Amino acid sequence: MKTITGYKCTNCGQVMFPRHERCLNCNEREFKKVEPTKRGKLLTYTVVNELPWGIDERGRVLGVVEFENGLKAMGLIKSDKVKIGMKLTTGWDEVRYQNGVRVYGLTFED
Amino acid sequence: MIPFERHDDDSLVDMLAAAGLRAMDDAGLGDRPVDAVYVGNMASGLFNHQVSVASSLVDRLNLMPAAADRIENGPASGGSAIKNGLLAVASGYYDVVLVAGGEKMREVIGPRSTDIVACMTHPQAEYIYGVTLPAMAGMFARLYMDKYGITRDHLADVAIKNQNNGLLNPYAHIQMKITKEGILTHPQAHINNPVVADPLHLYDCCPVSDGAAAVLLTTPEIAKKLKNTPITIAGFGQATDTHTLQERDDPTDLKAVTIAAEKAFSMAGIKPADIDVAELHDAFTILEIAESEHVGFFKKGQGGEAVASGATQIGGKLPINPSGGLKARGHPVGATGTAQVVELVWQLRGEAGERQVKDAANGFSLNFGGFGNNVVAFVLRRDA
Repeated sequence: MKTITGYKCTNCGQVMFPRHERCLNCNEREFKKVEPTKRGKLLTYTVVNELPWGIDERGRVLGVVEFENGLKAMGLIKSDKVKIGMKLTTGWDEVRYQNGVRVYGLTFED
Repeated sequence: MIPFERHDDDSLVDMLAAAGLRAMDDAGLGDRPVDAVYVGNMASGLFNHQVSVASSLVDRLNLMPAAADRIENGPASGGSAIKNGLLAVASGYYDVVLVAGGEKMREVIGPRSTDIVACMTHPQAEYIYGVTLPAMAGMFARLYMDKYGITRDHLADVAIKNQNNGLLNPYAHIQMKITKEGILTHPQAHINNPVVADPLHLYDCCPVSDGAAAVLLTTPEIAKKLKNTPITIAGFGQATDTHTLQERDDPTDLKAVTIAAEKAFSMAGIKPADIDVAELHDAFTILEIAESEHVGFFKKGQGGEAVASGATQIGGKLPINPSGGLKARGHPVGATGTAQVVELVWQLRGEAGERQVKDAANGFSLNFGGFGNNVVAFVLRRDA
């Protein structure tokens, strides 16, 4: 499955996403690539009714998930019963049609 | 400044020029040359299909050959433009600097404007999901409200206070009294006040506005020779934080707000308790409460009760956003940081009319860029 690339500092172990040229904790410049795990925990979310141009829907649920390896990322939540702390399964799907291109990103299901 | 509203018949540069002239005339500059012009603007290229607006402004005001730059720092562009002018004068290189902040957002329809503002989020980690600034604020509000016991009642108190203040400000975009019944407690309040990005509703969000505001900066020596009462910028501070909210150790901790405010207070040699009037960046009601705590006006978790008690109303212990704030004055993004300073100048000179805070001598402004990733604060002082 395609997914995002996270970065783990080779010096201090800090896990980061998105990319930084220097570690947020120790300024190290060497990183090992890490991927989201299959399961994660929902840290916060919102239900968005007023979406930007190009997304013709209401009630899109967006949230931030922490994976089992410490990586954190935003994604599209596909669940009707959303609750902080809930366990979610990581997916990858079309999230936006942008300038004539299908853009893929993280999705989460319960 | 000029009134914030829909300016259908004015271009961005029309508005900047009108605000710029008013600032020059207010100071009594006459034909004295301006050395440099800084324009605070976030996205003229996207909203108005025009760039190099600072060059356009000097042309309109016949300020050539003054140096001219556009300063872009998202919603803190206006604050950053003043900071650049301040440093330029303080360095001794320029004597007279005109700073004008402006944005014309209503040239595009609502969803386009939402999209343009969302361009400040991280392109790969946030923007692609359709995140908006209200959505960022919604995710923040959910955590902040849970952690500190802030309720929708507190958020409504901020909205009502600021819209009441807006009624006293002829420059404010929103001129409408609202009640708690109408936006919160009536069984049909959700019709007036629908969810924008849960838990935030329509009346938790600032409007989308057009407008411009300008200030003239100069040395104390030249200021003494000009006709109107000068106000001193006694302190400024600026600080940044991670681009995404999720990479902050504690996403409810607005570190850049705390640090920018500390720097501004430290430079001015005063404490938060010495402030008589404050203009905070209430793009969302939750932000006025969170910022009032992070800058040190109230302890964490007490900002909601402070609003509920009336302490932040005009006439209260520390009036916050007597102008109506972003909530009622409006938020033409690049203009806001400059408009906050204009309001403080009026308040400190005693020229704020019906919304005047009595005997205000020290003012504070906070201009919040991105979602708290680039924040500019000022302390202004009326010298005796």
